[in-house]
Amino acid sequence: MSGEIGRRDLIKLGAGAALASAAQAAGKPKFFTPEEYALADELTELIIPADEKSGGARAARVAGFIDSTLAEAFEQPERDRWRQGLKLVNSMAMEAHGGPFLTCTHEQRVAVLTRMADTKGSFFEELKARTIRGYYTSKVGIRDDLEYRGNSYQREEYAGYLPGDSPGSIKEQL
Amino acid sequence: MFDGLHESPKGVDLKKTYDAIVVGSGAAGGMAAHVLTSHGLKVLLLEAGRKLPIEQELRSMQWPYDHPRRGEMPPSSHGLTRNEYTIRQPPYAQGSRYQHVYSYVQTWGGSDYSKNIVVDEKDHPYTGSNYAWVRARLLGGKTAIWGRLALRLSDYDFKAADRDGYGENWPISYRDIEPYYDRVDEYLGISGLKEGLPHLPDSLFQRPNKFTTAELRFRESLQKMGRLITPYRAGVTTDGLKHNKYRSKCFGRGACGRRAGGCDIHAAFDSPTGLIYPAGDTGNLTVCTNATVYEVTVDRSTGKASGVSFLDTASRKHYQAKAKAVVLGASTLESARLLLLSKSPQHPNGIGNSSNHVGHNFCEHLMGPSVTGLVKDLVGKPRTLDDGKPGSFYLPRFRNLADKRSDYIRGYGFEGSSGTQIFPGHAYDTPGFGAAFKKQVRDHAGAFIEMGGFGEVLARYENYVDLDPEVKDRWGVPVLRFHYRFGDNERKMAADMADTAREMFEAAGFEIVSVQRGLRTEGWSIHELGTARMGTDPKKSVVSQFQQSHDVKNLFVVDGSTHVSAANQNPTWTIMALCWRSCDYLADRMRKGEL
Repeated sequence: MSGEIGRRDLIKLGAGAALASAAQAAGKPKFFTPEEYALADELTELIIPADEKSGGARAARVAGFIDSTLAEAFEQPERDRWRQGLKLVNSMAMEAHGGPFLTCTHEQRVAVLTRMADTKGSFFEELKARTIRGYYTSKVGIRDDLEYRGNSYQREEYAGYLPGDSPGSIKEQL
Repeated sequence: MFDGLHESPKGVDLKKTYDAIVVGSGAAGGMAAHVLTSHGLKVLLLEAGRKLPIEQELRSMQWPYDHPRRGEMPPSSHGLTRNEYTIRQPPYAQGSRYQHVYSYVQTWGGSDYSKNIVVDEKDHPYTGSNYAWVRARLLGGKTAIWGRLALRLSDYDFKAADRDGYGENWPISYRDIEPYYDRVDEYLGISGLKEGLPHLPDSLFQRPNKFTTAELRFRESLQKMGRLITPYRAGVTTDGLKHNKYRSKCFGRGACGRRAGGCDIHAAFDSPTGLIYPAGDTGNLTVCTNATVYEVTVDRSTGKASGVSFLDTASRKHYQAKAKAVVLGASTLESARLLLLSKSPQHPNGIGNSSNHVGHNFCEHLMGPSVTGLVKDLVGKPRTLDDGKPGSFYLPRFRNLADKRSDYIRGYGFEGSSGTQIFPGHAYDTPGFGAAFKKQVRDHAGAFIEMGGFGEVLARYENYVDLDPEVKDRWGVPVLRFHYRFGDNERKMAADMADTAREMFEAAGFEIVSVQRGLRTEGWSIHELGTARMGTDPKKSVVSQFQQSHDVKNLFVVDGSTHVSAANQNPTWTIMALCWRSCDYLADRMRKGEL
């Protein structure tokens, strides 16, 4: 009945929404094909991986950020560059390890990326720059990894300080 | 908010003769409005741009991840890059496929916050030599995004010609302007530390910002060389201003470094909240935005200014307003343009231009040389809060004071910063990828210190702007054509800047990461000055020491165009102190019937 949603329906809806968002993260990109998205996701995670301190590019949804940027990019060559770049990654993997990048082992993937990184002017530079931009503008990058403490109202002493000779003033510093 | 603000000429009494019409609403125009209305004069303020809902534009505390493009403007809009300014020639937007082309104003925090503040180069072209001309057409002008460094000039600057024989002295000395600097300090608020330097006089400071560990070390090291760094002298109220209900004190949010300037709680000075709204509360001010003044009109019988012609930028309709005095504060280059545009039988070269000096002696600050260093023992240290302040440090001039260099005259200072910032720019230069890369970025965050120089560009008659005989802006007004180049003195100074920057960092034990030696494009400092200079000789200058036209005594020019030399200090505070002094004079003479 329209306008009335039972508790059970809500649970179903909730589950559906979770699935949908997972699908969006993994498989419903705006510019990338699902395969390209998965590849970009793995490449960015290789550049900035999760470690004991914080999540990596995957947790920060860097591939999603790159995907939205490319979807609305003004210049077609910008999109072409990524499409061709991702193809290149796969063909390098194929050549060196006999299969597409995502079928390679972790060590093989790192080897492919290292080879690209050693080539000046390669797609790696673009890949890395966008990963940096995406990761360090994300909540994971800013708050978890770099533990940035600013962008908040300093109500007592701030990086400026209280007037006069109060503790922490510059007169004490100098 | 006062109710005298109009977006169209509706509300402006075109039949009335105002006591004064002020053109422009930035530091100069805003100050003129404040001082003249405080003397009881009835003032009409005309601003070419819109009134933007500035708090919504700046969104100072928006996290990058809460912005759909992480701070970037829509992809159909384009901000001119450093390369474009040097490789291409103005008009820079010509032939561009982008919908909008904006001058360079972007920090890492993104161009989406400043794009509406600066003009669209497609509507506002200019021609001639390379020049990065940044214009902000909105209520408040460039004070909406200024860098906040608020410095005084001294007699080392006002009387520089006496010291090295180059150019002209200013027609004032420090003693004349000092009381007005004091008034600006107290009315608007400034943060800083007293140092007692004769060449960089102290202001009446509110609390300064703290130094970081690296900066403390740098200051200590510089002491041995007889130099120093001082906390950023910011035109920001850090203790609050009881007399101004439109402004808040600084809360150290660190927002100023993330945007291209601008403060949505108005702790940093901006002309609307600092000057114009309070002036409006006197009941003596009428403000009209979207009103582009294109001519100072002349009374054909007396040769004096009778008012201005302006067009409504939206409707394109033309209007005239009348006043007993006309006060130009449209910015250094726009005021010169307006003087040149105002041709009449009495003033065939443009009003106030019998000297042929309008547009000439164009000067500014050179930029480019800079240094970045790594403070090695800070690597891997726990995170500190370093950017919660209006600025970091300033290194005052030390050249050609007691000593005299043989290769160039005048001097330069450095602006710098260090410590943790929200975005780790060094990540782009960190090699490799993977876990080691990530850790290195993290460990090095906050361990860098950097500074860049601002040097005096000599005022030269040969550096000038005039009207382009063909090209017009979107509203049909002839545009400026630039004839402007750095000279030998600037190149030699820049070379020395790069050398000393490196030396001073090395002496402090900082590991040199990079040294930039090249000059940036002319105009990069956004400190253009000198195109209608003050002086005592009407043949060699445009206005008097009270910024009154030598030719037309009810015409005043109160912005940076009147500065005789650029000095090396950022000009905003001097613009406002001079303007205050001149408007006191104007009000006095008007009362005596002597205009």
